[in-house]
Amino acid sequence: MTDAWPLGGLLLTFLIASATAFATPLLQERTQRAVETIHIVAIAVALLLAIMLISNALNGERLFLMGGLLFVDALGGIFLGLIVVVGFLTGLYSIGYLRHNLDKREISAARLSTYYAFFHLFLFTMTLAVTANNLVLMWVAIEATTLASVFLVGFYGRRTSLEAAWKYVVICTVGVAFGLYGTVLIFSNANALLANAEDAILWTEVVKHAGSLDPATIQLAFVFVLIGFGTKAGVFPMHTWMPDAYSEAPSPASALLTAGLANCALLIVIRLAVIATGTIGPAFPQTLFLLFGILSIGVAAPLIFVQRDLKRMLAYSSVENMGLIFLALGIGGPLGISAALLHAINHGLVKTLLFCGSGNVLMKYGTRNLDAVKGILRVAPVSGFLLMAGALALSGAPPFNMFISEFMTVVAGVKAGYVWLTLVCLLLLTVVFASFVRFIDGSVLGPAPANLSKGDLGGLTLAPLGLALALVLLMGVHVPRPVAQLVADATGLINGVAANAVGTTVSSAWRTIEVVAAPRGGAVLRCVSIREEDTTCPK
Amino acid sequence: MSGPDIVNSIAGLLIITSILVVDARHPTRAALFYSLQSLVLVSVLLALATVSHAPQLYLWAATAFGTKVVLTPAILYRALRRFDQSQSLPGIIGTPGSILLAAVIVTVAVFAVMPIRLPQAQAFKPALAISVAHFFLGLGCIITQRNILKQIFGYCLMENGSHLTLALLANQAPEVVEIGIATDAIFAVVVMTFIATRIESVLHSLDNRQLTTLRG
Repeated sequence: MTDAWPLGGLLLTFLIASATAFATPLLQERTQRAVETIHIVAIAVALLLAIMLISNALNGERLFLMGGLLFVDALGGIFLGLIVVVGFLTGLYSIGYLRHNLDKREISAARLSTYYAFFHLFLFTMTLAVTANNLVLMWVAIEATTLASVFLVGFYGRRTSLEAAWKYVVICTVGVAFGLYGTVLIFSNANALLANAEDAILWTEVVKHAGSLDPATIQLAFVFVLIGFGTKAGVFPMHTWMPDAYSEAPSPASALLTAGLANCALLIVIRLAVIATGTIGPAFPQTLFLLFGILSIGVAAPLIFVQRDLKRMLAYSSVENMGLIFLALGIGGPLGISAALLHAINHGLVKTLLFCGSGNVLMKYGTRNLDAVKGILRVAPVSGFLLMAGALALSGAPPFNMFISEFMTVVAGVKAGYVWLTLVCLLLLTVVFASFVRFIDGSVLGPAPANLSKGDLGGLTLAPLGLALALVLLMGVHVPRPVAQLVADATGLINGVAANAVGTTVSSAWRTIEVVAAPRGGAVLRCVSIREEDTTCPK
Repeated sequence: MSGPDIVNSIAGLLIITSILVVDARHPTRAALFYSLQSLVLVSVLLALATVSHAPQLYLWAATAFGTKVVLTPAILYRALRRFDQSQSLPGIIGTPGSILLAAVIVTVAVFAVMPIRLPQAQAFKPALAISVAHFFLGLGCIITQRNILKQIFGYCLMENGSHLTLALLANQAPEVVEIGIATDAIFAVVVMTFIATRIESVLHSLDNRQLTTLRG
């Protein structure tokens, strides 16, 4: 049995959970208990399997399954870990949230089964997307994520939900079709080069021969890829489905969309950018990353400020943060790429906390309108505290995790010579900071509405948020060694080690981040490690 | 007429059938025209298989016949026939506009594929240009049509365009790839049709201008 067997177990777990959840309405009055049991067992088993799988991948090796069709490397491990952790947290939160929906007769027990069935199908397709080695399977899986998640977006069947679901499925399906063109061009080019078509379709093989591909074709392919998968990642100007879909989906599904789905698409963009960089060099992909990145931040920042709908505000914040990730990728170098990968993790965790927190607001106030949502800290103190911490984290304040990755991005930008671009970015981030401070001041603090009963919601809707906050703080105070190792190895995988950046030290008032190079796992991969000043890089 | 010329000529019929799909007055008629267009696509695949000595394309043609000539149009016909009596919603541009748009898109596509230097594409550049143009005609249909059912057909056209590109440039890909793409496409059409019918039952309209509640 290979070290990759937990991946097979993971995919099967989600698939079986989905299929059995679809069947639970047959149990009639026992539907709720049955589907919740299946759901809890599945997310717990998936978490265990993911931990085992990523532990196996920590030694820097690639783990292959099904004859190389699927694989896990450090880069995929980061995103797989994020999907499963976020899946666990949002899955846990879903139980309390949907029970509330059920109690309020907003949904039936049969709808509950549908939700969990699509929840696990969505997790299955995302897992497939981040572990696919076959170029076209990557596309198929990304397209399948849309089809699996559109029912979550339109879950409530209201006019607005259906509108959001329609825009989501049309824009994403059309967008991702561009991605297929890019993928076909890459395969076709590789197929002309490699003797075996079975090899030419595998990312791990195409990367090895990227230097021999046709530059003009790959340049065109990368533009298609960026438009196609960028639509799914939610960067400007293809982001328009995001505020609608995120605001209309049940809150835990919104969290899964932003923390899971957007990052799946990001991973595919990164993987195909590695091929493009190997063929045409870094300048063209990095320029496009910078352009899409700064435009996304520039458009999203003022829209975050003016939003009066909590979930739409969070959705625009997702556009802004995906822009930041693109910007960091565009800056490039070990520091920029490490910043991008860390930011993907950090943003995913914070958004899980906040979207689930917005669910608590909805359950308590019955609205997402920030003009009506006041004094959360007085109405529901624990939820209020968690939301306040989440908002501070999202605004980039220390000691939360997003401060680290944003700080790394800024330093990487300055060191790479993008001073003006970095200054513009900082200015826009100030607008974002002001937006979330205003949210805290206007909605979390202040007097509570007189007609609202005070008291927090149950433990099932608070514990997942508490866990998410613990992870946010952990990533902010001390990046766990396995995560740092994965980020380091993945950075090496994407970029190799840029010699001029080795030894870069980024110092803030309270911590030092150093980029060091170390030989690891053979001649191809080299390791870039992010460490605190009192730790040593693994040799 | 040489082998590649036959492939390129049959591919040209795709543009004509796509205009028929876009301008059909009733959804069921559009479904039938889509079936006809898919039959043209199957013919291109068969011709390409013979001319390029690519026997795997016979299997692709069989798959496309089953899924695109029969299954998808049947699903669409069955699901959309109750909307035949609905008030017709004209697109932003009429039939002359559609033809002009198609001409512009085909011209741009011809220039766009010129720099591509893939050996397998050299003899079939006109067909490649048509496949790319077809993809963008589908996109144009989604943008210019007000009827959300027409937007589903726009997606179908895009999908047929990318299918032809795939056959021209990547026909040596493992069969599982083509099956995966075809399956995704069928599910996409089913899902879109399901949501469109739900929208009609809630909004009592198929006009996409009604889908503007969510803003800002």
